[in-house]
Amino acid sequence: MIAQNALSLGSINGIPFFTITLAVLATSFRVLALIFLSIISGWLLAYGAIKSKIFENVFISLIEIFESVPVITFFPVVLIIFVNRIGGELGVELAADFLVFTAVVWNIWMGEYQAFKTVPKEMVEVANNYNYGFLDTMSLVYVPFSIPRIAANLFPSVSDGFFYITVSEVFSVGFTTYATFGIGTEITSLLAESNYYGILATFIIMGIVIVTIVIALRIFSERAVARYTVDTDTPIMRRGKPRIRQTARFSAVTSLNTLGKLARYNRERRPAPDPEEIFSKKPKNSRWNIVAGMVALAILIYILYESALLVLSVSGSEWSYLFSKTPSLLYGLLLDYIRVITITLISLVLALTLGYYFAYRKRAEKIGIPVIQTLSAYPVPAYFPFVFLAIYPFVDSIFGSYTEEALVLFLGFLATFYYVFYGFWMGVKAMPSEYNEIMQNLDMGFFRKMRYVIIPSTFPYLIAGITSTVNSAWGGLEIGEYWPDIAGHKTLQVHQGLMKTIDVATSTGNIALAAWGSFLFAIIVAVYSILFTRKMMDLAKKKYVAEEGIYST
Amino acid sequence: MEVEDLDFRYENGYKVFQNINLRAEKSKFTAIVGPSGVGKSTLLRLLGAFLKPEKGRVLLHGKPVLRPTPLISMVHQSIVTFPWMTAEENVALSVKTKNLPKDEVKRISSKALEMVGLQGFNDLYPKEMSGGMRQRVAVARSLAADPKILLMDEPFAHLDELTAEGLRQDIYNILFNEESPLETVIMVSHNLTEVIELSDTVFILNGNPATIVAKVDIDLPRPRSPRDPEFDRVLDTLYSYLTIKGGKKA
Repeated sequence: MIAQNALSLGSINGIPFFTITLAVLATSFRVLALIFLSIISGWLLAYGAIKSKIFENVFISLIEIFESVPVITFFPVVLIIFVNRIGGELGVELAADFLVFTAVVWNIWMGEYQAFKTVPKEMVEVANNYNYGFLDTMSLVYVPFSIPRIAANLFPSVSDGFFYITVSEVFSVGFTTYATFGIGTEITSLLAESNYYGILATFIIMGIVIVTIVIALRIFSERAVARYTVDTDTPIMRRGKPRIRQTARFSAVTSLNTLGKLARYNRERRPAPDPEEIFSKKPKNSRWNIVAGMVALAILIYILYESALLVLSVSGSEWSYLFSKTPSLLYGLLLDYIRVITITLISLVLALTLGYYFAYRKRAEKIGIPVIQTLSAYPVPAYFPFVFLAIYPFVDSIFGSYTEEALVLFLGFLATFYYVFYGFWMGVKAMPSEYNEIMQNLDMGFFRKMRYVIIPSTFPYLIAGITSTVNSAWGGLEIGEYWPDIAGHKTLQVHQGLMKTIDVATSTGNIALAAWGSFLFAIIVAVYSILFTRKMMDLAKKKYVAEEGIYST
Repeated sequence: MEVEDLDFRYENGYKVFQNINLRAEKSKFTAIVGPSGVGKSTLLRLLGAFLKPEKGRVLLHGKPVLRPTPLISMVHQSIVTFPWMTAEENVALSVKTKNLPKDEVKRISSKALEMVGLQGFNDLYPKEMSGGMRQRVAVARSLAADPKILLMDEPFAHLDELTAEGLRQDIYNILFNEESPLETVIMVSHNLTEVIELSDTVFILNGNPATIVAKVDIDLPRPRSPRDPEFDRVLDTLYSYLTIKGGKKA
């Protein structure tokens, strides 16, 4: 039974405009609210990490693993905990929210931690010098310093959020379909009614909302870089043309620089300390440490308890069944890795050429980048059935019996291309201008530039982009490898693949197999992350930092 | 190298130069000086064709320079090396465009490093070098390209005084030794002592929009000492031109 919440108000010629608009807003609100929650929680955790070495080690190791593990790894956990245990509409809503939260949170948390770790020592000394408390130190030093990093992570996070929210709003377990109100549910419902004008209206309304969000993010990013980056060349916006969504915050942000605000705030708020206080140690805030420790311990005990219950609930015969399935699951994983590598390589080649083209042609860049940003935020699962319908005959004429394989790879490509492209383009833009002059001066051709200067310079950005691409490619495969009724009664599916096995097991109610497949997947991806991604990131940080090539006092 | 009637304005419409004319003679060290913000580095980038003039042209051997070329090589104010390459690989970068055999590339790179006094440091990465050594690598990279003209944008600005003095003393001999194919060096600087120490000809850039307000030839014997009274006289001359307002002496 479909838990259908959709309203059917404000219909014009059979198109429920009001419902569609509400659904788009509900979905957008979910994505933005969860990103906001990630930002707030990230500030607190990052602060904890820079204050406690033990917490830092645990926190960073976990983020690094989770950052490299695709969001679908969490799917069975989501289903079991939220749907089975909490149940009802709240359970479904929390399941969808949790899935999106896990899609957007790691990048943001990591960015905030890195920002907190790199706050200039002098700024921290100023805060210590004036005896700032937790709130003052956060709001006047750490939080402003982290804003540019957050801004940089917002575009991919919004894209990720929209990608997963549309699939997580409606999901099936066995014969039960769960749904929560939003655009994913609305599209499913319109498709079931064959209301194609309604679907078209949905895409238009969604396009308007996504373009608005992208414009707002671009304005925020520009302001964040201009205002909060230390030693930026970008002019600080003080006055200028009126811009979209000019808010009261604009004047607050532009009236004084951060350090100026910090100093003034301190002067006005704090009396000078008594001379005796100077010679005693600053009391540690031990009460807060105990509370934080107890909360962390309670969460850990709960997770262990739930895990133990889960393992004990599986019978011996079921374990034997799962072990017997393991070789075929691992073979499926191997096939999926080949698919992911194919998608990543195609994305990389296109990103390198297109990213290079945009980075060096201002006019093309001005149009191309916002268009790609908008397209990337458009959730692929929402529009892919129509792409499928449109290109199936053409793809079929080329690939024959491999048509569905090609279409799944294409879906994966659509879901991932943006990350490596954006990473590379950002890397080229961040390259020191002197490098460009040297390449021009030495009259280097495209391949030489790429080999000796551009790819090494952008290596850290490329690795970050490739990591995101790989993660999203898994997401694309999870959706594409088994998609029943993608167009009419047509099912898109590959011959074999781990993602397909998980999808089929979930939809037939075989949660144990789905969870076991996800568990094996998580283990292997985590090992891959530790052995490959982290090593490449370390190499990038150690050797390929273009900024270190510019020596100036 | 010659510059004829050159005008330039920034993208925001601000006119930087009007009617710039200068000529850098063969085997002469030429300097361009001017007050801070007058556009010295911009002028150097126009000479290297990294920027396009609004009007006028830059000529090398009588032919217009329309795009950057290894024949006119630039040494930056911010010392530029590639951290993922060793000293030798950094230098080899400018030889690679010539499609020479590997051994030949290695030989030329080693020789360029030797010319700037870095023999034996071939395998060091920039991170393992001092600022002075890095700038020598950057100079070696420029020289290995066999340029006719070397453009130097405040090349000693980011070095401590002791290192800068050492490199200044070496640089003239490095640049104009018998094996160097260099015809001319054009350096931009705001350090007048450094300019007098090195230059044969000095062009003074001043005004708004800026233009060349004077040319001063320096024929003091080398090595030059700031304690020499003649050195002081030239310094006073340059200083008086730099205090010109709107193109006229104050």
